[in-house]
Amino acid sequence: MKITDAGIHPYPAGDSTVARMALEAAGLGFDSTVVIGDAVHRSPGIEVLRGTVIGAASVKEVLKRVRDPAVRRADIVYVDAGDISFNRAVVSVKEVNVVRSIHATRRNAFDHVAARTAAEQGVAVDISMAPIIYLRGTRRQKALQRYADVLSLQRRYGFPLTISSDARSILGQRSIREIHGLCALFEMTGAEVTEALSSIGRLIEPHRPVRVVE
Amino acid sequence: MRPRPPAMRTKRRYILARILPYRAWIDQKQMYFSVIEAATSLLGDAAAGLAQPAVVFCEGGYVVVRCRRGTEKDVAVALSTVTAVADERIALRTVATSGTIHALRRRMRSIRQLPGDEEVKIGETYFAVYRYPRQKVDLVEKGIKHQKSLFFTEADLEER
Repeated sequence: MKITDAGIHPYPAGDSTVARMALEAAGLGFDSTVVIGDAVHRSPGIEVLRGTVIGAASVKEVLKRVRDPAVRRADIVYVDAGDISFNRAVVSVKEVNVVRSIHATRRNAFDHVAARTAAEQGVAVDISMAPIIYLRGTRRQKALQRYADVLSLQRRYGFPLTISSDARSILGQRSIREIHGLCALFEMTGAEVTEALSSIGRLIEPHRPVRVVE
Repeated sequence: MRPRPPAMRTKRRYILARILPYRAWIDQKQMYFSVIEAATSLLGDAAAGLAQPAVVFCEGGYVVVRCRRGTEKDVAVALSTVTAVADERIALRTVATSGTIHALRRRMRSIRQLPGDEEVKIGETYFAVYRYPRQKVDLVEKGIKHQKSLFFTEADLEER
């Protein structure tokens, strides 16, 4: 079981290099991290996975983008969440691993239909720590409401969750203990947090029946 | 005025947090304002008032925050939402919680800046180089105010 930060944005998108963020993540208790972008790094202390984000307005565009060589090379494919019909459709795309930015969507944009499909297809929903850390007032309250709503759907339908710091700097990274505390704000239990932090490994290598190769 | 007997005093807890970046010099009063703002914003006036967070001292790259016993977890979560002090971007990493400041002082390890005085040019900008143990290198833009910071490693710097 590898504890993974499901999304960091190193230099040049942020102000810290992959190596420095990997060093920091190892110090904060993570076993692996997903780097959004093309930066590749091999660190002895921590596994660095490659992630890519598809920000599209329609499912047709997502289907076109998943065929890009850059997207095919990625270990984890993220799609930015959109409206209700987009989210229902995108969770059934085979190449998509994680739906992210759920806090920025309208209420009920990720509903029970999308939740059931996500559970069937093994598509995860990402919970970003950045809105809880950086936003203040009603915007943070809305993010917490969205996360609580996603959590109630997850408990009912059982789709995977991932947790990312969405950090663009070492100053945005948080330790596992701090993530437990931040997730407790929307009543996520310690066991659920641990499960979510270790779900990236299961997304990369899902449990499948044993195939006998002659 | 006679002090209250020990059994009637409010029980306190102290939280030790490390300040990032290492070279940040933070005024204790400004740190107090940031901690109070973060606690009030996250927990609300009522819970923050009951927790009674206060900055006991802020020096040597560490800050010790006092709170009422039983509220230390809430205050530690609030500390993780502190992102800036007086327009300077920082992060607080909670190290330990204890009932005495003396115990926390034992957990404080000074972070030595390694010797060396040099500068590098990245793009069109000159940066001062600050080296720390474990190959960490902080680059601070040369200038008077609002300097940009970059966080590299020795290997990243050599590759440039």
